[in-house]
Amino acid sequence: MKSTSPQKTDTSWSWHNPVLRAWFYQCATIIIVLLLVYYLGSNIIENLRLMGLPFGFDFLSSTASFDIGWTLIDYRPDMNYWRVYLVGITNTLVLSLLIIVFATVLGFLMGVVRLSKHPLVAILARAYVEIFRNIPLLIQIIFWFVVIFLELPKPKHSFAIGEAFFLNNRGFYTPELLTDSPLLMVLLATVVVWVVYWLLPRGLKSTKSPQQQATKSLAMLATTGLKWLGYGLMLYVVFLIFSGNFEWVNPEKGRFNIEGGMFLPAAFCAALIAMSVYRSVTIAEMVRAGILSVDQGQKNAAQAIGFTQWQTLKLVLIPQSARSIIPPLINSWLTIVKESSLAVAIGFPELVSLFMQTSLNQTGRAIEVVLMVMAFYVVTSLLISGVMNQVNKRMQIQER
Amino acid sequence: MTQQSDHNKLKTFVPIPARPAPGASNSWLAHLRQQYFSTVLSSALTVTTLFLFYLLMSPLVDWALVKAVWSAADRKECYSVSPDGACWAGVIHWFNNIIYGRYPSPEIWRINLVFVALVLWASPIFINRFPHKVMVFLSLWLAFPGLASYLLLGGEHGLLTQLWFGIACAILTIIVLALIWLVTGRELAPGHSALTRLKLPLLALTIGACLGQQWLILEAVETTRWGGLFLTLVIASVAIMMALPIGILLALGRRSELPVIKYLAITFIELVRSVPLITVLFMAVTMLPFFLPNSVELDKLGQVLVAISLFAGAYMAENVRGGLQAIAVGQTEAAKSLGMNYWQNMIFIVLPQALRLMIPNIVTSFISTLKDTTLVSIIGLFDILLMAKNMAIDKKWLDLHTEPLVLIASIFFVLCYGMSQYSLYLERKLQWSH
Repeated sequence: MKSTSPQKTDTSWSWHNPVLRAWFYQCATIIIVLLLVYYLGSNIIENLRLMGLPFGFDFLSSTASFDIGWTLIDYRPDMNYWRVYLVGITNTLVLSLLIIVFATVLGFLMGVVRLSKHPLVAILARAYVEIFRNIPLLIQIIFWFVVIFLELPKPKHSFAIGEAFFLNNRGFYTPELLTDSPLLMVLLATVVVWVVYWLLPRGLKSTKSPQQQATKSLAMLATTGLKWLGYGLMLYVVFLIFSGNFEWVNPEKGRFNIEGGMFLPAAFCAALIAMSVYRSVTIAEMVRAGILSVDQGQKNAAQAIGFTQWQTLKLVLIPQSARSIIPPLINSWLTIVKESSLAVAIGFPELVSLFMQTSLNQTGRAIEVVLMVMAFYVVTSLLISGVMNQVNKRMQIQER
Repeated sequence: MTQQSDHNKLKTFVPIPARPAPGASNSWLAHLRQQYFSTVLSSALTVTTLFLFYLLMSPLVDWALVKAVWSAADRKECYSVSPDGACWAGVIHWFNNIIYGRYPSPEIWRINLVFVALVLWASPIFINRFPHKVMVFLSLWLAFPGLASYLLLGGEHGLLTQLWFGIACAILTIIVLALIWLVTGRELAPGHSALTRLKLPLLALTIGACLGQQWLILEAVETTRWGGLFLTLVIASVAIMMALPIGILLALGRRSELPVIKYLAITFIELVRSVPLITVLFMAVTMLPFFLPNSVELDKLGQVLVAISLFAGAYMAENVRGGLQAIAVGQTEAAKSLGMNYWQNMIFIVLPQALRLMIPNIVTSFISTLKDTTLVSIIGLFDILLMAKNMAIDKKWLDLHTEPLVLIASIFFVLCYGMSQYSLYLERKLQWSH
């Protein structure tokens, strides 16, 4: 509230005093919210008492005793519910990550195709966008699963590419990398370190002003350390690639089934394809809008001062359209992580299916289970949007 | 002599021969060449696209039309007639179930009647010449549920619900009369003399409709028997209708200058927006019974409606916030200098302008709510998707998955594509009027 002058602040105890009124409203809101919380809380306690259910997270350490169709981390039925939670999280994250990669690549491709001046190509791209945008995702997922993947031939008659890849109604089989070197973890760590370094504020990295350097010397030391850590990890990766022993194990076709290798179940493949295609449409529209949003004059000006076609694209058009593409793009990645929960409909063992369906039904601990699942999504969203804000800051026009 | 001949020569006009006609540039053939075969790349694209189109469409047309079976008693018969064609016969048999769910078939006229009433009631909003669109919308929002719940639920009602139904009938009559006058060319706007003359008959109609229910009690149909496209549309419409006020309140809260209200609104909006809808639905089904006293009887549809409304409300809040931000500060300042308080300013100055700007966004969020509604099939409500899936476990049509899925996908496509084109049209119209 902009008060006109500080001397004239109203101090009367009347309803017309805006400060007093604001306090009244806020106190009333707090009281109402507290009353609501008290009401719901007492109901919960009463209901739990009536049903004889205790409240607490102790059930996490009891044995789950059900099998999970597809796990990336080690899991056996004699492990506990906490392990089930972790399995659900890894499955959800892996599925989302793959969808993000596929949807983004496909989206950029279709976004560029959508700008084509060729009438037939434009019509086909438009049809792609409209068809996949206007049919609910769940129907698309079920369609891919039931109509396409379950109708594939039985394992005995699998489609095969050489001896390495097999596709049948159970899923997709690829060669598996067997190795004892920690290459993947180190690679992941390297990427994380460089991303963190890139996201750090520019002020910490510049050595231009000595004054800043003095005040931020400790932070500077940390950033430099991070940078050298990144280089070190990169060297280690190179070392691992040349020194480690890697072995590709092909899946083998048995009489009734295919064994060995890496197995992606049909539900996983269907969810992956359906969601990648569905989100690629949104991303394509973002890319198209982003490229169209760059002023035509920018291109003309770049060519007027003698930039080549490639320089124009690289130095003028891409940076400017990226500024408007990246925020909604990361937003759609966030949506993908949330949407991956729809894989529950075709029985893919991700977090919602494992925890909110199977575990909840077995333990009956509705409140705890729902809270834990929601906590995962809230934390993931906060992390991604936190990163997004940093990226946004880095992408903004630097003004003097 | 020579001079004279020169002079003559100058006088005779020798035209430059006309250039040859530009190779039939106006013919459709040239147009075709220029558009599709101007360069090598362009020709290659044309050929590839056409081939791709043929590759996609020929098996589809073959399956869906050429080899399709349109009438058969069961799946086996379909299969014996044409093993690799679509079996539309099953879908035709199940069509009523997919649209109306398990609603008792002698009562289906009630759903149709409500749908016709809705179309009549809402049509003034889409007719440019019709006055008082805001009043029509408000009456639709407040009174129409009375009519719909009386007809759809059936059974006995309390006095208040009867009055609600009576008022709804009276308003519907007014709107239908107004539509007739509009079509026959009479002017509505000045004075509404025709309406004032109808005061008494309308009052009689209201009371009659109220009391009539005492004698005409419709058969009660429980919400567990609701299903199909009908249930999908009910959920989506209720959700969007509830999402509007929730969204407006949350958006106002988020822009409030009172920190407590502001942070409460932000917390609610961000929490809801950061979890998937399916978890909210699971929460509504599994956790809501714990929140309420033991004596409360819960209806699954009601739980789901609350969950989806709150969910859509949080998203709507962000839409409304966008609309509010687009209104210049000068409007609020002008209202304040006229002595308006916060609510007067919001209701009479800011919100009408903001909501007008938001209409395309509201249509878009209705589309996404409609698409999201399919998620209720996961928690076991018999919406259009679950009805289509159930068809495959009908003994007569065992494992018939593709055809019902294609049918409901096309229903959704028609609905959503139509609405998105309408929202684009609205956007253009709003741009012109500025």
